[in-house]
Amino acid sequence: MESNIVYTHSDLVEKSKAGDRNSQYQLYELYIDAMYNISMRMLGIKEDAEDVVQDSFVEAFKKLDSFRYESTFGSWLKRIVINKSINYSKLKRVPATSLEKHVYHIKDEPEEKPKTMDIQKINKGISLLPSGYRQIISLYLLEGYDHVEIAEVLDISTSTSKSQYHRAKKKLIEIVNTL
Amino acid sequence: MMDEFEKHIRDNQSAFDQHRPDRTKIWADIASRLDAPKPKTIPLWRSAKWRVAAGIFIVLGLFTVIGLAMGSWGNFEGTTTVVNKELQDIDSYYRNLVSYQVKLVQDHPKLSQEEKAEFLEFMDELDAEYETLRIEMQKNLDNERILEAIVSNYKKRIELIENLLRQINESKKPNDEDVYIL
Repeated sequence: MESNIVYTHSDLVEKSKAGDRNSQYQLYELYIDAMYNISMRMLGIKEDAEDVVQDSFVEAFKKLDSFRYESTFGSWLKRIVINKSINYSKLKRVPATSLEKHVYHIKDEPEEKPKTMDIQKINKGISLLPSGYRQIISLYLLEGYDHVEIAEVLDISTSTSKSQYHRAKKKLIEIVNTL
Repeated sequence: MMDEFEKHIRDNQSAFDQHRPDRTKIWADIASRLDAPKPKTIPLWRSAKWRVAAGIFIVLGLFTVIGLAMGSWGNFEGTTTVVNKELQDIDSYYRNLVSYQVKLVQDHPKLSQEEKAEFLEFMDELDAEYETLRIEMQKNLDNERILEAIVSNYKKRIELIENLLRQINESKKPNDEDVYIL
């Protein structure tokens, strides 16, 4: 069964390749919410996320010929959205990896335990993280990327990805515990 | 190993998608960008005028290259024969090109005999001038002034052909534009 997952919506994908606007719209409807939320988590600004998502869909539909079912359409599209979001934040000089300045504020104390598991509070906590931490937490916990993939998209080493993720998680728990 | 906190977030991933995009607006922008027509391209080589212009451009370009090559290579002894041979090759190429265009003019149905005669007379004069220059050139390969004169000789020929072309095109205009002037 698993090998068939990559062919999810293959009918819509094939028709979209041929330029069928209705099929393209159906794919858009299926994925717009998820893609918009990914971009919002990466960028934090509504207008920026809208621009990135719009660009991503246009690029995806124009380059659909190069999609060969090596992954699902959704994860192919997600990769485009994540790459564009990261490039956008670099372009706007949002210091995506300005993690270093936060490093020195974190004491070498044992990690706090989260006082709550409330999704609303955790979500709020993620949105309050510095952009670099927010990106790495989103990629690892919500987009399901491993540290090798994160290192690749953020152009950092795998060990940096691991250490920054742990700092980001620590910071997130600190914030959530104050909410 | 993932702790409870991490597992809890991963297991409830979809609950974190709380932002609602403006679906209609974003789709409208996407659709308009997908609909944008590709800019039309009209290949220049389809126009006879551009084809001739390109021919002229190549002639001038190659002649400049030869001029430069002569200037730098001519100073070295032993390369003279090579340069001489190359000059001969390229020169015969241009001569063929010009004579081909002259033939085109001679055979052109829309030109009067007088126009043709006038054109060919100028061409003959330039031929004679060119012959003199060529003999001079053989005597002294380094002579830049003679090279410049040869280039200008070719330029004159090309100018003549251009003028003639313009005349042909101007005489065609009233037929091309289907407009009545009252």
